[in-house]
Amino acid sequence: MNGCGRLHTLAIRNLTVRKGGTEILSGIDADIRCGEVTALIGPNGAGKTTLLQAILGQERYTGEIRFCRSPEHGEGAPRIGYVPQQIAFDRETPLTVLDFFALSAQRRPVFFGPSRAVRRSARESMERAGMAHLLDHPLGKLSGGEMQRVLFALALHDGPDILLLDEPVSGVDLAGEEQFCDFLSRVHGGSRFSLLLVSHDLSVVTRHADQVICLNRRIVCQGATTEVLTADNLAAMYGGDAHLFRHRRADGHGHLHDRREGNG
Amino acid sequence: MEWLLPAVFSVMDRLLPFSFAEAGFMKRALLAMLLVAPAAAAVGVPLVQFRMAFFSDAIGHSAFTGVALGVLLGVSPTWTMAAFGALVAVAIILVKGRTDLSSDTVIGVFFSTAIALGIAIISRQKGLTRNLQSYLYGDPLAVSDAELAWMAALLLLVAVYLFFSYNRILLLGVHEGFARTKGVPVRAVEISFSLVVALVVTTAIRTVGILLVTAMLVIPAAAARNVARGAKAAFHLSVGIALFSGFSGLVASYYLDTATGATVVLAAAACFALTTAARAVLAGR
Repeated sequence: MNGCGRLHTLAIRNLTVRKGGTEILSGIDADIRCGEVTALIGPNGAGKTTLLQAILGQERYTGEIRFCRSPEHGEGAPRIGYVPQQIAFDRETPLTVLDFFALSAQRRPVFFGPSRAVRRSARESMERAGMAHLLDHPLGKLSGGEMQRVLFALALHDGPDILLLDEPVSGVDLAGEEQFCDFLSRVHGGSRFSLLLVSHDLSVVTRHADQVICLNRRIVCQGATTEVLTADNLAAMYGGDAHLFRHRRADGHGHLHDRREGNG
Repeated sequence: MEWLLPAVFSVMDRLLPFSFAEAGFMKRALLAMLLVAPAAAAVGVPLVQFRMAFFSDAIGHSAFTGVALGVLLGVSPTWTMAAFGALVAVAIILVKGRTDLSSDTVIGVFFSTAIALGIAIISRQKGLTRNLQSYLYGDPLAVSDAELAWMAALLLLVAVYLFFSYNRILLLGVHEGFARTKGVPVRAVEISFSLVVALVVTTAIRTVGILLVTAMLVIPAAAARNVARGAKAAFHLSVGIALFSGFSGLVASYYLDTATGATVVLAAAACFALTTAARAVLAGR
């Protein structure tokens, strides 16, 4: 599944983020490697989104985020793709999926319509996501799962070096989640980008991630998925009462549950 | 400039050989409408997406103070109105970015402050109240050559601005965080768009007045939204509806002997009613 060896790495060194006097993140060291899926897990308020924001350059931090790449893999600043959590937007907005691609992919204002080049490349991207039939659909008519896949397809459209997925399937129904995960597996086989996935859904993490970073304001542990996802580590991160269990088969989820708060 | 206006008027005489277009002031009014309405409607499309109708209303009402300042300083109110409107626009955006208050609260504070300041100044100046009436209801039949030139310049400015920024503005309108990662300079877009809205609003006041100016931006865009699926259709429909209602409203006001600005807005509202009905029919199929 590894299409690019170690052509590039996002090296995070001693990263610290302070907000209003408190340390949201302290002393983070991690490597996000090309061709791998790195999962970022942790309880609510652990600083997962803050870490993504720091990588995106939208959060002040101390320490270092360095993008190292070998010369044959291009140069300059990395292109970072981002798939946000399910986004709330104006569902009545008069934009088609194709318009949405055009907004960021062409200079010509969309009131002159999408350019041919964008129409072609957007169609290809949407075909890869299995959604070519939705290209001329109004954006507001998409289901939650479809919208997430459109955002994913749009993030891939730019040929990113690093792709950040922030809880991409939270709030998406099970069928939508399956489709998203299928798409994720397909695009990431033989890919040339590194993928950082924030998820609380451990079934998604165990299915897709090569590496796991457990975060709770600092790094609790990190390493290969099978080594890291142990009961002890999860207890250390989520508190003593937390435990990992699988729902009945029909549900198909492996969630992390915290008895004290009862959230999933 | 001297030769341009008569040339335009003689073209209008040929295109519109009707009694309503004979008088010079009607030609001016028509020209003013056809310059201002499309600019307002074009800016209106993203304005509606941003839910900035109240913002536009606040800028409109800041014109009270703008006009009062102009009279006080002995400058043409056209300029003080635009300048003060722009000032209020930037102030709202800056304050909004620095507090946790919701944007309608921030706008509400500026909205009433601007009106209060205007009324305070006006109440000190005897005889200014009458002057203000034409700004309250609009007076397109009395636009000057200089104002027409400014309206033409504004239309050009809006066209150039939207040509270069429209995609970014719409992307920001869908989702700020996502737009950021796509390289949209969020702050710069917010401020520049607010400034352009302020200029359009304070100029459009001349045609339909302070009370109705927001309608020029919001109604055509809202009417277009009812039936447009994509960005291209929404934009062109909005501009088309604005041109149609500007023209038909002006003509109707001539024959019905009604206030011009109000009649234009009523024509736009009729378009909104029509597209709402069309939407219901389309959805029912």
